[in-house]
Amino acid sequence: MSKKVLVVDDDPDVRSFVVTVLEENQYIPLVAQDGVEGLEMIQKEQPDLVILDVLMPRGSGIRLYRTLKTDEKLNQIPIIMFTGITLRSFLKSQKVLNEFKGGEVPEPDIYLEKPVEPEELAAAVNKKLG
Amino acid sequence: MKIRKLLFVTKFEDLCYDALNSLLELRKASLEHVVFLNVIERDKVAMQRGTGYLKEEEVKLKETANIRFIDWAENLFEMGMEVGAYIEVSTLIPEILKVVEKESPDLIVIGRSHKGTLEQLYSGSDVTELTRRTQVPVLVFKHMMEDNIVPEKLFARPLFATNWSETSIKTIEYIKGLKNVVGEIHIIHVVKDSALKSTDTHEVQKVRKVERKRLDDLCDELEEAGIKARSHVYVGDPQKEIEKAAKEYQATMVILGSSEKAAILERWMGSVSKNIADNSIFPCFLIPGKKNT
Repeated sequence: MSKKVLVVDDDPDVRSFVVTVLEENQYIPLVAQDGVEGLEMIQKEQPDLVILDVLMPRGSGIRLYRTLKTDEKLNQIPIIMFTGITLRSFLKSQKVLNEFKGGEVPEPDIYLEKPVEPEELAAAVNKKLG
Repeated sequence: MKIRKLLFVTKFEDLCYDALNSLLELRKASLEHVVFLNVIERDKVAMQRGTGYLKEEEVKLKETANIRFIDWAENLFEMGMEVGAYIEVSTLIPEILKVVEKESPDLIVIGRSHKGTLEQLYSGSDVTELTRRTQVPVLVFKHMMEDNIVPEKLFARPLFATNWSETSIKTIEYIKGLKNVVGEIHIIHVVKDSALKSTDTHEVQKVRKVERKRLDDLCDELEEAGIKARSHVYVGDPQKEIEKAAKEYQATMVILGSSEKAAILERWMGSVSKNIADNSIFPCFLIPGKKNT
C-alpha cells in the first residue's frame, strides 16, 4: 500500500514541486499551507512522513516540529525539514528553546536546504520510507 | 495588556532590520512572535499594454522579499522567537487587515505613509485608514534623523500626550503593560489657547494647577505600576506643542490615543493624532479609540 506523505509549506510552487516528486515515486501526497493546518492534518491523517517548511504564517515549522517531537502519539513520525532557513539557525533556535522552555527535542531526521533537485528530495523520502 | 505578537509591515525602503531590532526590547514585555508582511502593490505587476501581467516581476519581487525575510527570521529564530511571513500582491491596508484577522497581533508596526497629499486628502493616509479600521494599536515607525539612524532604545523616553479622553485612559492601561520596557515616560497635556481667555491671572494659573494635579495623579498611578513618570503642562496648538515637548525632552517616541472623530470629518479637518502620525519626526504609537464612523 502506498504511503502518505504530508507537505507543510506556505509556498504553492514548492507544494506543487514536492507533490510532483511524491507522485512520481508512488507516494500519496497530502498538503497543508501553514503550521496550524499542518498539525490538524497530521492528527487526522496520521501520515507516514512529514516534509516541513520552517518560515510560515500561523505557526512556524519550528513550533510544529517541537509539538510533534514532544507528543507521545506523534513523535515517531519521521520529519524531513525542507526550508530556506539554515540548519545552523534551526539548531541554535532549538538550543535556545530547550533552555528556555525545558525539554530536549532530537535533531531532524533529514534537513534539506532549499532549493534541491527532485532526485535529492526523492532520495531523502525513499531513505525514510523505502 | 501585553504585546506577545507583533505584525511588522515593511516595504523594505521604509522599515528594515534595524527598526525591527529596536523593537526587540519588547521581549521584556512578553514579545515572543513576529509576523512579517510585505505587500507588493498591484500596480508594480499589473496588466500593461503590450506586456500583460508582469509575472516575472512578481516572482522577482517575491523572491527578493523572501530572501530578506529568511535572513531576518534566522536572527529571530536564533533568539528562540516564533516567526511567520506573508508576501502578497495586493493593496496595503486590506491585506494588513486580512493578516490581522488570521494572526491576531497585539501591535502593528508600519512605516510612514507614502501617499501623496492629494491622494491622502481623498482616501486618507495609510496610517489614518489603518487606525480607522482596526482595534489593534499601531506603531508608525520613523527614522528621526536625516541619516536614517534608528534610535537604539525606542522605549527609553516615550512622551504620552493625553487629552483625558476615553482613549487616553485606555492608553494608560496599555502603557502599564510596557513597564519592563519603558525607561521614563513624560506625560503632557496641552491646554488650548481658548481655555486661557480670562484676563485674570489667577484664573489662568488655576487652569494650569488643575491640569498639573491631574497629570501628577496619573504619574503616581504609573509609578505605582513600576514606571517612572514626569508631567508637563503646555499651552497652545496641541500638534505643535506635542512636537515641541517631544524635542525638549528628547523623546524616543510619541504615544497617543488615536482620534474618535468620524472618518469624513477627520479626513477634511484632521485630528491631532492623525497629523502627528503623518507629520511628526518621532515614531508614533497610536492606540485606537472606539469606532465612530
